[in-house]
Amino acid sequence: MNRIAMVAGIALAGAFVAQANAQLTTNKDLTVMTAVTIAQTAVETCKSQGYSVSVHVLGRAGEVLVAMRGDDTGPQTFENSFKKAWTSRAQRAPSLNFANAVKQNPTVGAIHLSNMVPAQGGLPIMVGMDAIGAVGVSGAPGGDKDEACAKSGLDKVAADLK
Amino acid sequence: MSKFAVAIAGLALGAALTGPAQAQLLSHKDLSVGIATQIAVGAIEACKAQGYNVSAHVLGREGQVVVAVRNPAAGFATFENSMKKAYTARATRAPSGRFAEQVKGNPNAAQFFLANYVAAQGALPIMVGNDVIGAIGISGAPGGDKDEACAKAALDKVAAELK
Repeated sequence: MNRIAMVAGIALAGAFVAQANAQLTTNKDLTVMTAVTIAQTAVETCKSQGYSVSVHVLGRAGEVLVAMRGDDTGPQTFENSFKKAWTSRAQRAPSLNFANAVKQNPTVGAIHLSNMVPAQGGLPIMVGMDAIGAVGVSGAPGGDKDEACAKSGLDKVAADLK
Repeated sequence: MSKFAVAIAGLALGAALTGPAQAQLLSHKDLSVGIATQIAVGAIEACKAQGYNVSAHVLGREGQVVVAVRNPAAGFATFENSMKKAYTARATRAPSGRFAEQVKGNPNAAQFFLANYVAAQGALPIMVGNDVIGAIGISGAPGGDKDEACAKAALDKVAAELK
């Protein structure tokens, strides 16, 4: 009897697991034009302040949705804007948070991943509590200024992010 | 006046002449991020108007990405393909469709051993006069001719700026 009960229990658990795995996830994701608007607005906001910046907008899986290389920017800004966005998407938080974390603990594990960078200028793109992507900006004289331009891009499409 | 002395004098003269030429800087026009964005978005919208979702790449003079746009409504391979088409157009200074024609029946064309060539229509060089300053590549429409038409529509729209 004991053994039968155990087998029955395993079968029941199996049924539950199967059902849970079989469900699909439902996700909202960025459209191409929303992503372009975010990037373009960030470039233009910084430009109006006299800063040439590069911008990356990444999607849910960290894939590049939009990449823009700013006029006369250093080649590193293109890479850096990608990595700031990647860091924001990975941690679902402003890349500033990671910069602060690394200050506290310079050997934090995530620093060894290829695309993490402890630098301000990246913001996650949120729909409620869901991080559906991220925007990263690089080229302004200071990560706070990069982040402000990233923010302007997100503000521009705030009405669509729901 | 030996032959040797003449040769030395000749070399010195040659060096004097090439000196200033090498010291001159190149002067050329390049894409701004603003106009590159206009081209990419123009092509995506031209295709969208015909019911096609496409991804786009605009590359600069050195084949560097100036603007890249992935269309999540298009197949994921379109992102890579639009880059490679544009790279091919920039490298050959000609529509990528021309390269596709040239290598038909020659699967061992030397260019295939380079990472970014693709034998597919859908990209055009961006010209300022006779100078190739970049390229636009499109992928996602049902046929390279349709991709290329969207690229062309985008370039036509900014033709006044490309000088």
